[in-house]
Amino acid sequence: MIGSIAAEVFVLRKRASTWILLGIWITMGAVFAYAFPYVTYRNNGGGPGGEQFADVLPQSLVSNLLVGFPFFGGAIVLMLGVLSFGSEYGWGTLKTLFTQRPGRLRIFGAKLAALGLVLAPFVGVIFVVGAIFSYTIAQVEGAAVDWPSAWLVIQALAAGWFILAVWAMLGVMLAILSRGTALAIGVGILYSLAIEGLLSALTGQISLLEPLVELFLRSSAYSLVVELGVSGEAMADRGPGSFSGPFVDGGQALLVLGAYIIIFTLVSGFTLRQRDVAG
Amino acid sequence: MSDSYVIETNNLTKRYGENIVAVDGLNMRVRHGEVYGFLGPNGAGKTTTLRMLVGLIRPTSGQVKVLNEEPGAPEGLARIGAMIEAPAFYPFLSGRDNLRVLAKYAGVPETRIAPALKEVELSARSGDTFGTYSMGMKQRLGVAAALLKDPELLILDEPTNGLDPAGMAEMRDFIRNLGQGRRTVILSSHLMTEVEQICDRVGVIRNGSLVAEGTVDELRGRDRLRVKATPQAEARDLIMGLPGIERVEALNGHLHITADLDEAAAINRALVYGGITVSEIRVEQSTLEEVFLELTKGQEIRA
Repeated sequence: MIGSIAAEVFVLRKRASTWILLGIWITMGAVFAYAFPYVTYRNNGGGPGGEQFADVLPQSLVSNLLVGFPFFGGAIVLMLGVLSFGSEYGWGTLKTLFTQRPGRLRIFGAKLAALGLVLAPFVGVIFVVGAIFSYTIAQVEGAAVDWPSAWLVIQALAAGWFILAVWAMLGVMLAILSRGTALAIGVGILYSLAIEGLLSALTGQISLLEPLVELFLRSSAYSLVVELGVSGEAMADRGPGSFSGPFVDGGQALLVLGAYIIIFTLVSGFTLRQRDVAG
Repeated sequence: MSDSYVIETNNLTKRYGENIVAVDGLNMRVRHGEVYGFLGPNGAGKTTTLRMLVGLIRPTSGQVKVLNEEPGAPEGLARIGAMIEAPAFYPFLSGRDNLRVLAKYAGVPETRIAPALKEVELSARSGDTFGTYSMGMKQRLGVAAALLKDPELLILDEPTNGLDPAGMAEMRDFIRNLGQGRRTVILSSHLMTEVEQICDRVGVIRNGSLVAEGTVDELRGRDRLRVKATPQAEARDLIMGLPGIERVEALNGHLHITADLDEAAAINRALVYGGITVSEIRVEQSTLEEVFLELTKGQEIRA
């Protein structure tokens, strides 16, 4: 199994799209979490004490970065998940892999494990970049450098990975069900933006929707990051990623996200095992 | 199911929906150590059958055992090397790196990669990405991948596709060498010369069913005599009356005679004494292609 996982990590590492998606994610984090708020703060006259200024300082590292995971990070790793399985159908490589020794479910397991490992830099690198930006800004502005506790950072890294893993797994499932990439990415983005986004926005007017929206991937992911210090207001004005509730408690959020991972994995594994590989 | 066969299928059937029967009650036996040619026109069900043998698709009904294992079982796959249809690899990886990935999956040491590449004469281009390979090079890499596990059973689906004549000849020699010794090779093709030169036994599939199976000589049948004589009708009647003649058939201006070949001189003498002009008399051997065309006449185009 270790050999199979190593093979998959090797493939993902050599693949340009992995690095492109990581680059986009890091750039988005640097620009939207640090560069734009800092430029806005400077344009408004500067000086320590402003709300936006506090966001870009080391003390807000966790909350400033984690707010981007439930939607923007999710959409990016959804594509990573789609590509990791969907491209195999396009290239016909699934048949090559399935005629090797391990058997379908072990190959599926190896690919998931590799995807999980590759998600680690998606979480870790953005925290490193955020730390560098926040430290630099604090130094330039002469502000105090107060880092969040190590325990909070560890919790944030774990929560960030977990949220990305759910989205990536949704991508995997869509790729396997559609046996390709284009439809899977289209449906995934449509679902996250239109279905979850619109229905969440409508809960203010239609209260009947609230129990349903509480079970959504986005509301669970946002609720999880709120538990780690992200303010509800911070996510209410973030363009397509805006979310203003309903929130659930952290325990329920974890349970719902865990249930999603299990369901996506079971559906994907069952489909991959049972279906003919004809292409 | 018997242990004496490497591949054994009983009434193997694959249906797609109500109307499409890709493989229809196929009974195939491949013995240990032989090179088995699997012949059939396009759409006859060859690739569907091969896919079922390695577990890529599931039969609708019937039984199949490969190396005494269920198709797709890891224990069986560990002993099978396969190239089914077009060779498929990661386009962004080099030929060598593609084999590295497969070696990790198959649990074989990476030291096997270089010899496999050398065997298919791809060492010089093994560092280039697969996406830049010609069709012939892709085929060679596919064969190298199939050889990585040093398999007991090698399944090659149209391995000479895309190769130039020199490459086809090399590949034929290569496959012939692979088939010597303990290894069993099943080779799917619609190129008769390829099969005629390489295979110990041949199975012919038509409309999803096996319509003939045997050695090349068995399929070709007995040699016949071909005679061109004028007037043909009188010649036919005269020959029919000679002793030792089993059958006379008039076709395309010739008489095709099934008889002991040693009777040629006697037939010639009888025709000449009978006042019949004989312009040609020679031994005729059916080619595998003729047999194939006869066996697969009326093959329907199927999805």
